Amino acid sequence: MELLEVLKRLSSLDGPSGYEQEVIKYIKEEAEKIPNVKSEIDHLGNLIVRKEGPGKKIALFAHSDEIGFVLTKKEYGNYWRFSHFGGVDPKAVISQRLRIHTRDGSISTGVVGMLEPHLQTEEMKGKVPSFDELFIDIVEGGDKVSIGDLAVFSSEPFSLSDKYFTGKALDNRASCATLLYALALLNNFVPRSDAYFVFNIREEDGSPGAKAVAYKLKPDLAIILDVTHGDVQIPSSPKIETGKGPVLDIGPVISYEHFERLKKLAEKISVSYQVEPTGGVSYTDTDAIQITRGGILTLLISLPIRYMHTPYEVTNIRDIEETARLLSSFIAQGGE
Amino acid sequence: MNNLYLKELTELNGVSGYERRVREFIKEKIKDRVSGMEEDILGNLIAWKEGKNSKKLMLCAHMDEVGFMVSNIEEDGKLSIIPIGGIDPRTIIGKKVLIGEKEIPGVIGYKAIHLQRGEELTPPSFENIKIDIGVNKKTDAENKVKIGDFVAFATKSTVNGDWASGKALDDRGGCSILIDLIEDNIGLFYTTYFVFSTQEELGLRGAGVAAEKISPDFAVVVETTTSGDNPEFPEARRSTELGRGPAISPAHSGYVIDEKLFYWMLDNAKENNILYQIKRRTVGGTDARRIATTLAGIPSAVISIPSRYIHSPMSVLNLKDYENTLRLIATSLTKEVKDERTY
Repeated sequence: MELLEVLKRLSSLDGPSGYEQEVIKYIKEEAEKIPNVKSEIDHLGNLIVRKEGPGKKIALFAHSDEIGFVLTKKEYGNYWRFSHFGGVDPKAVISQRLRIHTRDGSISTGVVGMLEPHLQTEEMKGKVPSFDELFIDIVEGGDKVSIGDLAVFSSEPFSLSDKYFTGKALDNRASCATLLYALALLNNFVPRSDAYFVFNIREEDGSPGAKAVAYKLKPDLAIILDVTHGDVQIPSSPKIETGKGPVLDIGPVISYEHFERLKKLAEKISVSYQVEPTGGVSYTDTDAIQITRGGILTLLISLPIRYMHTPYEVTNIRDIEETARLLSSFIAQGGE
Repeated sequence: MNNLYLKELTELNGVSGYERRVREFIKEKIKDRVSGMEEDILGNLIAWKEGKNSKKLMLCAHMDEVGFMVSNIEEDGKLSIIPIGGIDPRTIIGKKVLIGEKEIPGVIGYKAIHLQRGEELTPPSFENIKIDIGVNKKTDAENKVKIGDFVAFATKSTVNGDWASGKALDDRGGCSILIDLIEDNIGLFYTTYFVFSTQEELGLRGAGVAAEKISPDFAVVVETTTSGDNPEFPEARRSTELGRGPAISPAHSGYVIDEKLFYWMLDNAKENNILYQIKRRTVGGTDARRIATTLAGIPSAVISIPSRYIHSPMSVLNLKDYENTLRLIATSLTKEVKDERTY
């Protein structure tokens, strides 16, 4: 599997929450290139890829959706108001080109404009416009858009260096790529678990996708893959860095016992890892999965990325490779 | 066909003081279509064509765009930058940039929204904005870039239907019009100098040097200007509106436009039924201010393509306005500037 190629495709595809099917379809194609797997898409649109084995049922989850925008009101001409879902910094939206998916399947393009500095008053300069004050200027296909059309960032992914890759939606397509890579690596082992690789929908709008799959599968262990903030010092927390390997989360939403097993295995196979304390809930699909159908044991593994929820998130390629190596080994050994 | 080069022109990198790429591109396009061409010490490109009358008219569009320069390479491999020209720091987060002669790609990242505590609506300062080129060490960064390298936005342009969007429309729009005027083989009244100037965004620094050399009888600056034409900005404070034709300036910061030239354009617009508008604000100066005070004084005028969101990585102009701007200048160039108004 060409990891960079897969990552590039995954970042290029558009899949705002609830509209992930292009992404799901592509992942299914890639998964089916891997021998000895069975895949299905459930009634909600979640993709479940099974790698059958004799042991415990382990489900791995990566959400396939991305943050997005929705057209809310036409002003005049090509001007529209818009809103967002998933946490978005208005500063990261100004002067961006957004790709709008219209009702007839065509793509329109709008730019989020900012008044020229020459005309700004001192008062205006002192504040970032909120989403209520931002507007989108639809310069291509302005006659095709309707209220409710969804939009995403249009940034094209690229390799920033031989170590780092950048693009939109690496939250959480970097994890999707990691799961695909782990699935490919799993063929090097005789697995001792019954593994389900789940590419679920709708994390950014509150986890209805992951919860449904967790309910249906009721796995013995669920491992959730998501992203976390890398290379930023968060007060009272260890500094998580890119390039230093997978981040193992610890806290009330994590099975302490499985966390210890995973740590031991990482040490045994020389995967360097980092530990991130998750106070309270994790704000990932883990929180919903843990309390599904009588309760499910959960592990959360995060890939550190920079500039989360901006058009150019940055991920470290080696972190993806090492996370996949750890995961495939863990599953092959039946979660031991 | 007109505006054939607009997309390519806007995608070239030519931050003030680093206009070489734009100059080389324009040179290549016009070299066989002008009577003569030269380049001066400041990097201005000056081309000319003979007219019926030996008096000289200078047309001027600036090649440079706003951008940044690498000011420091930090220990963690990130690049600090200083702005070149007037850039709003609220418009630069989450953008791809190209750095230096090798055009090394980088991104302008910012602290994730999840980690901001009440700073969401606070404008960032340039000191807190760093460029990420995918390295973690100063020495690794030094292998790719150096202090003094230019930093330009990497925005791709779209030119479709009625609209163009991209970076540097200010003033590649004007450059594109000058190229079209050269290619269109107009029956010029005056011997006309086509000046592609440098360092406009740093205080109109190139154009005066070119004017001094040419010593024209008149000058017309072709710009891409502001509008404020958006739902948030009060209509009464707009400077222009898109779709309403070229903006003819009566006066702007530091210079009241020469009356004869102002009416020369206005009358030609009226006589030929070309849609035009009078620019409604005086904020922002152009090369006209510098040219007007060069030598013993050169009567100057300004005509602009109205534009939105200029000086940001994503500006917009209307291609009908572009066409009308081109038509009005082309028509005017065939006519004499009258000493006395005939109205």
